[in-house]
Amino acid sequence: MNRYPRWPVHLALLLAGFVMLVPFYWVLKTSVSGENIYAYPPSILPARVNLFYYVDVWYAIPFARYFLNSVAVSAIAVAGNVVFNAMAGYALSHGFRGKNVVLVLFLSCMMVPFQATIIPAYLITGKLGLLDSWLGLALPQCSTIICIFVFKASFDAVPRSLIDAARIDGLSEWRIIWHIMMPLSKAAIATNVILAFIWSWNNFLWPLIMTRSADMQTLPLGLARFLSYQEDTTGALYAFCVMVLAPGLLLFLLAQKEFIRGLTSGATKG
Amino acid sequence: MTVAVEAPRVRARTLVRHKTRRALLFWCFLAPSLVIFLLYRIIPVVWNLVLSFQYWSPLKAAEPAGFDHYEDLLYDEVFWQALWNTLIVIASAPIGIALALGLALLVNADIRGRDVYRTVIFLSYPLMTVAVAIIWRWMFDERVGLINYTARLLDLVDKPIPFLNSFTWALPSVIVANTWQILGFYMIILLTGLQNIPHELHEAAAIDGAGAVHRFRRITLPLLRPSLFLAFVIGMLNSITSFDLVYVMTGGGPGRATEILVTYIYKLGFVQTKFDDAAAVTVVFFMLLLATTWAANRLAGGNVGAAETE
Repeated sequence: MNRYPRWPVHLALLLAGFVMLVPFYWVLKTSVSGENIYAYPPSILPARVNLFYYVDVWYAIPFARYFLNSVAVSAIAVAGNVVFNAMAGYALSHGFRGKNVVLVLFLSCMMVPFQATIIPAYLITGKLGLLDSWLGLALPQCSTIICIFVFKASFDAVPRSLIDAARIDGLSEWRIIWHIMMPLSKAAIATNVILAFIWSWNNFLWPLIMTRSADMQTLPLGLARFLSYQEDTTGALYAFCVMVLAPGLLLFLLAQKEFIRGLTSGATKG
Repeated sequence: MTVAVEAPRVRARTLVRHKTRRALLFWCFLAPSLVIFLLYRIIPVVWNLVLSFQYWSPLKAAEPAGFDHYEDLLYDEVFWQALWNTLIVIASAPIGIALALGLALLVNADIRGRDVYRTVIFLSYPLMTVAVAIIWRWMFDERVGLINYTARLLDLVDKPIPFLNSFTWALPSVIVANTWQILGFYMIILLTGLQNIPHELHEAAAIDGAGAVHRFRRITLPLLRPSLFLAFVIGMLNSITSFDLVYVMTGGGPGRATEILVTYIYKLGFVQTKFDDAAAVTVVFFMLLLATTWAANRLAGGNVGAAETE
């Protein structure tokens, strides 16, 4: 039943891979070519390779500042996700009064995309006095339901007898989470870290709405702004683009297993 | 005697107290997440609904508006255009899913290097959408974009098409970019579904003499139905909420050719500061979302579950 020629499969997949990769190549090529990027016909290989545009980016925009903002916001979001989701996941892996209410609440929250909440979210953040701050940027993403369920599933797999033993030894619930459950849930932690990081790193709409000062802009916002006031210029835009894509790409390649597992477990959970 | 009667009761009482204490503790553990969801999911939904029935702008007192904002929408051409465009984008999801199904079948085959293929096809999904939008702007560029260049090289067109500045081509171009980004995610979902189909079914059918096409139609497709609908729900959510891509690629233009509901909400609320009008559009947007998810769930014949859209 497995005797069919392999080459058409490879051919089709190579074609698909080509379509997926060629846009990256086109931008990368532009970002390192040393001639007018609007010259026609466009060269297929980068002409006179150099990194001028990357240096341009460094001088044209406060890249370091954007980068710092993005890192800070993502760090807050990741920390929030790991701590809050672990606590919530631990609670949900037990039976207690009112648990069903919480579950229903969480599942209905999953139906509300952030885009449908932007106006009140903006007003609420304003009332909290968090507009234009790192905390305000990170707060809506500091806990995610999918990631709570990732922790819950991982905690459910820990033998109940272990928890009981820890309780008899007098460990508080809080310590059980951090000293017993978490060391046994490294995969769940990794999934949380990666999903929270990618979501926060890529987030655009929320920073667009709630940042006012140029000092508070994150990388995606900086990139979009750079585009809007550089309409047709140099390859610096594409160099910037590559610089912004690189960290996410690197992280994904390093941890794609955890990333995909998180997405599929979240997506297939009822 | 009394002691003997008392003892179990006391133990029961301490047990109850213990249980309540633990329940209280669990509620405390849930509190941070609950506060975040309350602040950024639940209150906003309610507030939106209230706001859509009021005249309100920042620094002004709210006045009841009845259905005025909704009535305005009926005569708002931009709103209808945005709604229509949103529906078109949703309707384009099955094309991507069909493509992804083909790819999932291919990478599920027993071939060398399939992990590499999977990674490459999935690669675009986790990337920053703003950057993806810029990449595709460049691909669609009128003068030196790869697409126009190839088309001209192959003599498919006489003169370059200004994809993103053309009323006909702008929306399809955005859809292409959107599909390109999410294709890998569809593929992973469908691949998971394919791998859950018991191998014995195929073998038994093959022994019974069923051909590959027949097996695909009678075994793979029916058993893959939940995954297909899950992919559709995710695709629907993705396309209905793809603000970043549209905003950066075209800004809703040319004219209103690529305006979708989310970009219109943003413009109404944060460019024209008509928060109340924007709230009414948001309510319609949310209803559309619920209706589509509900329909997909019904069609799937079960609870597919909600999907994450962050």
